[in-house]
Amino acid sequence: MRHGTVTKVLLYAALALVLLWTVVPLVWMVLSSFKSPNDLLATTPSLFFTPTLEHYGALFQSGLWGYVQNSLLAAGISTIIAVTLGCLAGYGLSRAHFRGKDHVAFWIISTRMAPIAAVILPLFILFRYAGLLDSTLGLIIAYLTFNLPFAIWIMNAFFADLPPSLEEAAMVEGATRFEAFWRIALPLTAPGIVTTAILCLVFSWNDYAFAVTFAGPDSQTLPIAASQLNTQTGLNWGQLTAIGTIVVAPMILVGLAVRRYLVKGLTLGAVTGE
Amino acid sequence: MASNTTEKGGGRRGISLETKMLLPALVLLAVLSLFPFVYIIFMSFNTVSLIGGISFEWTGMENWTRLFTDSVVLGSWARSAIYFIATVGIEMVLGVGIALLLNEIIAGRYAALSLILMPMFVAPVIVGLLGRFLTDSTYGLYAYFLNATGLYTQDILGTPGSALLAVILMDVWEWTPLITLIVLAGLSSVPVSVLEAANIDGANYWQRLRHMVWPSIAGVVIVALLIRSMDAIRYFDIIFVTTNGGPGNATKIIPIRLYETAFRFFDLGYAAAIGLGMLAFSIIVANLFMRILKNRGLAK
Amino acid sequence: MTSRHALTRRDFLRMTGAGLAGASLLGAAGCGGGGTTGARAGAGMWKQYAGTTLSFVSENTAPTSAIGANLGEFEKLTGIKVNILQLELTSLVQKVALDIGSGLGSYQILYADPYQILAPYHGALADLNEFDADENLPSIERGVDDFIPAQLAAAGRFEDEKTLYGLPYDCPTMIWMYRKDLFEKHGERMRQDLGFDPMPSESSTWDEYFRIARWFNDNADEVPYGTGHQAKQHDSLMNDFSNVLWSYGGDYFDNPNVGSLGASDPGPSILDEPKSVEGAEFYKKLLEIAHPSSTSWDWNALDEAFRAGQVAMAPNWHEFAAGIVDSSIGKDVGFAPLPKGPARQSGMWGGTGLSVNGASPAEEQRAAWLFLVWATSPETQLMGLKSDVGGGTPTRSSLYERPDVKKAMEPPSEMPNMLTYDAVATSWKPDNIGLRPKIPAWNECDTIIFTELSSMLVSGKSPEEAMKTAKQGFDEANTRVQNLASSGRGGVA
Repeated sequence: MRHGTVTKVLLYAALALVLLWTVVPLVWMVLSSFKSPNDLLATTPSLFFTPTLEHYGALFQSGLWGYVQNSLLAAGISTIIAVTLGCLAGYGLSRAHFRGKDHVAFWIISTRMAPIAAVILPLFILFRYAGLLDSTLGLIIAYLTFNLPFAIWIMNAFFADLPPSLEEAAMVEGATRFEAFWRIALPLTAPGIVTTAILCLVFSWNDYAFAVTFAGPDSQTLPIAASQLNTQTGLNWGQLTAIGTIVVAPMILVGLAVRRYLVKGLTLGAVTGE
Repeated sequence: MASNTTEKGGGRRGISLETKMLLPALVLLAVLSLFPFVYIIFMSFNTVSLIGGISFEWTGMENWTRLFTDSVVLGSWARSAIYFIATVGIEMVLGVGIALLLNEIIAGRYAALSLILMPMFVAPVIVGLLGRFLTDSTYGLYAYFLNATGLYTQDILGTPGSALLAVILMDVWEWTPLITLIVLAGLSSVPVSVLEAANIDGANYWQRLRHMVWPSIAGVVIVALLIRSMDAIRYFDIIFVTTNGGPGNATKIIPIRLYETAFRFFDLGYAAAIGLGMLAFSIIVANLFMRILKNRGLAK
Repeated sequence: MTSRHALTRRDFLRMTGAGLAGASLLGAAGCGGGGTTGARAGAGMWKQYAGTTLSFVSENTAPTSAIGANLGEFEKLTGIKVNILQLELTSLVQKVALDIGSGLGSYQILYADPYQILAPYHGALADLNEFDADENLPSIERGVDDFIPAQLAAAGRFEDEKTLYGLPYDCPTMIWMYRKDLFEKHGERMRQDLGFDPMPSESSTWDEYFRIARWFNDNADEVPYGTGHQAKQHDSLMNDFSNVLWSYGGDYFDNPNVGSLGASDPGPSILDEPKSVEGAEFYKKLLEIAHPSSTSWDWNALDEAFRAGQVAMAPNWHEFAAGIVDSSIGKDVGFAPLPKGPARQSGMWGGTGLSVNGASPAEEQRAAWLFLVWATSPETQLMGLKSDVGGGTPTRSSLYERPDVKKAMEPPSEMPNMLTYDAVATSWKPDNIGLRPKIPAWNECDTIIFTELSSMLVSGKSPEEAMKTAKQGFDEANTRVQNLASSGRGGVA
């Protein structure tokens, strides 16, 4: 739409305000992570300082790499499982006809509504007897409790949006039922799959409550490392902002890389949401 | 791909492929959710002790009667309601507003969108820690500007009103982008020809917004509301690392109260009852939104 | 990292006065310290669990950071590998309770906070006397009596004087930290204005503290406020308030043992009695003139603010001294015992013991014992005193007699935490030591009191009303937890 100059100025002024609101905290975090302790604790905030890598150095020296690996494994594998099973189940749900289907669909999404603190104890007991405590596998499974219902829900919506006639046509030409799903339906929902995967990855990468309960010394994740920096001998803001940058940067990069899909994916999935 | 003859044609009775595809996920989900669910219900009728191994003593409705008479928990519910309405409300208004704004902007729209989306990828723990950093009275950036301009000179997280507002705004900062994203996608599906026709008819922006744009994005907006609401009830990480309920209980929303009942007091039976109360509330809210969606014919 | 390690090791060798070759650590240490009262220790005993891996779950404190930096020594001595998991206190308590409750025993070595872990879960901790008496295991060097008695009771025992659940590991204590430079600069004027000597000393009172703080608010430009407090709705607020409560003659319970040995049934709370309310009234009055951010500061944030020059003085933990001495205000800080109230002097003690998880397999428990003996040994505590990463101060009487430690009590000090010794020693006297109730319901009571105090400070609740509500909450929580404990002996699912 075309706008007059005054309107244009107003629009961009509003946009500038919005950007200021979103970006300043992140920029400040990244800047602070390169400040020396003295600059950090200056009572007058300053933009000009001699950058230092000491906080990052200290973090990696104290074994941060292990946390990064645990985070990658737990979030990554949990996402792969959730998306795979979510695609299968989402498709199944969208195409199957059985009584009480609506209730099953609602049950699936309601499992994601359970209060985290209330679920922790029963899961802990379950994990304890399954030998899953203090392991990355345990975290992967814990993350499935919120990622799996989410993946099924969104993927179901995508498949439901896809006219069955496309798969029927393929089957008339000799494809099996599964081939019709695999070759026709699945590729058409690529934006949905990407969206689901990204959101699952973000949710599990960012988890704190489960990791703090289920992870042991060998399976700690990054958010735990961040919270541990709040020690009794003082908040180390330099290292905190550095670890914040490390936690946030990959998710922002991944998220922005697929932003195009995200826009498409969310609407499609959302509007037709079961 | 191995082809399975029994499934060819798809018309066969018995367990269809669709159901088979559904099963692995459902079984896994059942194990992960039904056991905890039944366990929590059982716990809520017991006094649960961790001393000397987990043990149960059947106490019937005791936890439940306590739930409805406990003034601290009732207070937390009230505070939760304020927190919930404020966060979700502000996020919806801002989210829709920013989406409409972006929709009007041509040059740099996608660059701006990328920047605006960033907060939703930030871990809530980091949002909380960052929030503390920015509002710290000694060296916090925001505290400094509020103080220097004289807009607010008291301690942000140390004063009940501003502490509540601050944790609300931290949540708003993180989750408004999600609403913007969803609504913007909805806006892009409004046919341009319709808008142009209206433009020629002389309808001004607000008339077009009300009569053409709004009806076609209302469904998306409700979905956004549903997605946000479900998580807004559950999440507590931001408050957990900032005020942890204080000062003077000003930010003690119900998930924080649940967490401390379960993992500070280890009053697990009572915590189970509080948790089930929260779950019931979420399900009612979700059902309500679902119904609205169905009535509008937007959900299948 | 490597350079620090090398340094630590060199320090260590110099300290013990002997190499590690052949002899065991403690055997060797004996020649340095002298007076090793019959400690059993042979190289074989120390090596018997070589190859074992143990897990130590701890709060993220300076002493544990120091232990972590010195773990190489323990591994060399025993061949046992120790993984340390450091958590914030709330998460630590959750972790330990779940581990104990599920009978898992996956953390063999526990940082057993006397109030949040020892009191509710002592039944699940191993009795250390058995290991100490075992012919095949090293015993506590210099015997259990070398631990400062009040701390041994508080950190190591529950209700009875025999069972030993923990060895005193750290001993953070609240003292009065002040900016010596500002007191010296304004001292004369303050004396004239206020009519007393403002210099912090053993005879200073809380009333004087209040007036000094107000004087700084009104007259000094160097700092925005006189006093700052850790008054966030958090455990820290209970600590900060308790000093005042006790010095005014108030208390949580009327039970002489509740702080030291602890009690499963402490009786009704006396928080609503006049002396307790009087303490609360003073505390509220004090916080009204304190740095307004006090209500959002926990102990870390207060310490940061003090270092950043936001306040002239504060009740602070003595273990923070090492960090402060290192900071830009390092040379200008003085340490004194907290002021006296109408009834007595009192400084909160926040120490903790190390315990062995009774749910762990027997062999692992024995291996864990080796770690306990090592971690609380005089030599390791001495390493902690010199550590680059902060460290704590010893829990053993004999160390305070060493000439090098005594020398470190005066600046310039190689062991900066020792500069606080005179202040903490006053607060460790049996009549002064500030011990909060060691009761199984403490987690809940703690939350109740710091929540009520927070309401009193920020939402205008009257001290009387706050104390009354807290008292009721305490009594209800105690009844509930006692029922819980009695039902806990029922059927195990």
